[in-house]
Amino acid sequence: MATRTVVEGVTLERRRRFSETYFGEWVMTTDHKKLGIMYIVTAFFFFLVGGMEALLVRTQLAVPDGKVLNAEQYNQVFTMHGTTMIFLFVMPILVGFGNYVVPLMIGARDMAFPRLNAFGYWIVLFGGFFLTSSFLFGQAPNAGWFSYAPLTELTSNCGPTAVRCTPDLNMDFWALGILMLGISSISGALNFVVTILKLRAPGMTINRMPLFTWMTLVTSFLLLFAIPSVTAAALLLLLDRHLGTHFYQAGAGGDPLLWQHLFWSFGHPEVYILILPAFGMISEILPVFSRKPLFGYTFVAWSGVAIGFLSFTVWAHHMFAVGLPPVAQAFFATSTTLIAIPTAVKIFNWVATVYGGKLSFKVPMLFALGFVAMFLIGGLNGVALAVVPFDYQVTDSYFVVSHLHYVLFGGTVFAVFAGIFYWFPKMTGKLLNERLGQIQFWLMLIGVNLTFFPMHILGLLGMPRRIYTYPGNLGWNELNLLATIGAFIIAVAILVFLWNFIITLRSGEPAGDDPWDAFTLEWDTSSPPKPYNFLVLPVVRSRRPFYDKKNPETADWKTATH
Amino acid sequence: MAEEQAQSKQVRSKQRRLAAVEETSGPQLSYWPFVLAVALMIAFVGIVIHPILLGIGVVLTAVAVIGWGLERR
Repeated sequence: MATRTVVEGVTLERRRRFSETYFGEWVMTTDHKKLGIMYIVTAFFFFLVGGMEALLVRTQLAVPDGKVLNAEQYNQVFTMHGTTMIFLFVMPILVGFGNYVVPLMIGARDMAFPRLNAFGYWIVLFGGFFLTSSFLFGQAPNAGWFSYAPLTELTSNCGPTAVRCTPDLNMDFWALGILMLGISSISGALNFVVTILKLRAPGMTINRMPLFTWMTLVTSFLLLFAIPSVTAAALLLLLDRHLGTHFYQAGAGGDPLLWQHLFWSFGHPEVYILILPAFGMISEILPVFSRKPLFGYTFVAWSGVAIGFLSFTVWAHHMFAVGLPPVAQAFFATSTTLIAIPTAVKIFNWVATVYGGKLSFKVPMLFALGFVAMFLIGGLNGVALAVVPFDYQVTDSYFVVSHLHYVLFGGTVFAVFAGIFYWFPKMTGKLLNERLGQIQFWLMLIGVNLTFFPMHILGLLGMPRRIYTYPGNLGWNELNLLATIGAFIIAVAILVFLWNFIITLRSGEPAGDDPWDAFTLEWDTSSPPKPYNFLVLPVVRSRRPFYDKKNPETADWKTATH
Repeated sequence: MAEEQAQSKQVRSKQRRLAAVEETSGPQLSYWPFVLAVALMIAFVGIVIHPILLGIGVVLTAVAVIGWGLERR
């Protein structure tokens, strides 16, 4: 546990060790801030990899009878796009923000288990290399990010007749890669739970915790309960493939639906694992740029807990089309609709936070507002998908692709950029260029809607997901071309960001310690913070401890009852 | 001028060798997390490619776990 006392003043002179070289510092570090940055940089690298895969997919589909990729290459590229974006970009980047920000927010000097933290990072990095290296063998995973059995089995008993399923290494890479990344998720989640429950600053009760910390805590519990399910699924798949068991083979007494139940009982909580920390970021950013405390803190916090619980009761809405009994369909349709309530509670509270505030439309605020709008679209068409007869019509169509991208790109990725622009000054001591940030935001907003909105219509017109080409007489041509143009606009936006990142690191405007006049404890440190974070641990008396410190006359603790 | 440059070079080199106490106040550095992750990756690659690699990975994993456990904190 990182509980050493800080002593300043004395210096020792000796030879430098490997750990004091630039390279050694990063390889051996157990500092949560360095690891946070490493997570974020690594995740962003995989974002670029996944983004290039997306561009390949969209280029292939831009016109009918596309010839950029053949069927097998297309299968590998779209599978790795989904796998990379979910497991190697969104999850690690949110863990990266959690790593960097949570200990600072709660007034701790580090995570509870610093070495476990470092291990979690290295496993993500090597797991990512392992998964991506499958392209070098020409055998990247090719059964979609949810890898349905029995398609993922070897050759025998994979259907009514013995046909070839996936005899090569493709699914071995996927299953083993997921196992590796699962180890990282579990270690990270344990670390967050212990850190948040045990290392909070004096006075920071659970009801005074910043919302990002709250949502990281909920997400960590989701990970602890959801990851074992996909781990078990992947292990059973490996046993089927290599040791002759038949867990998913109907022809030998197994049940292919077992995969779907195991996968989705991980997969739907996973959606909330990917979005709850984003909710937390937005709940931090909107109040700061509205110059108000968050409206309905308690509701926002506990609605996150409600979402966490409910997320384990909705998995089979992904399986309506397999022929579930009506009672099961009714149950899962109801629970899915129910989860919209706590989600809407958050959205109403965010709107109420912004309403009447002194708004400052800096780039983090733009992305946060963009998040609310885009996530709302993704949420509403998600509720539509909970309606069983409608789901029958559009299941496995581009409507679903549109829904998940509005949630994960319009939602989480916008929140991630809001977070990057918001906390970058703390991490580096420099402010990202505002003008370039605005250009990036508007390009992304246009690009996202141009790419993903036409997919609603494509889905309603019957375009199935995962087809590698289509004939030109189905009325899909213009919409597909629009979606591809949108994808390239998003790519330009990302290039603008990379340019902004480079010029800021070279010659960015100094940020100071508190460039946004923020409310939470991470801003009560230098930018970047010292290795020990706080020389003296802060004492917390309200939900906005740094605001209290800066404004003793109007401190929250003088009026608030929490 | 050359003397001054040499002197400032000496000072910079000396500064680089200085280890501030505040650096030692955080969690200790460790290479075992890195080694354990490498070992696990070798084992996983071994599962896909060759049993010998798997064996090396398992041995390295055991070494890393023991090293981690015995590391002075």
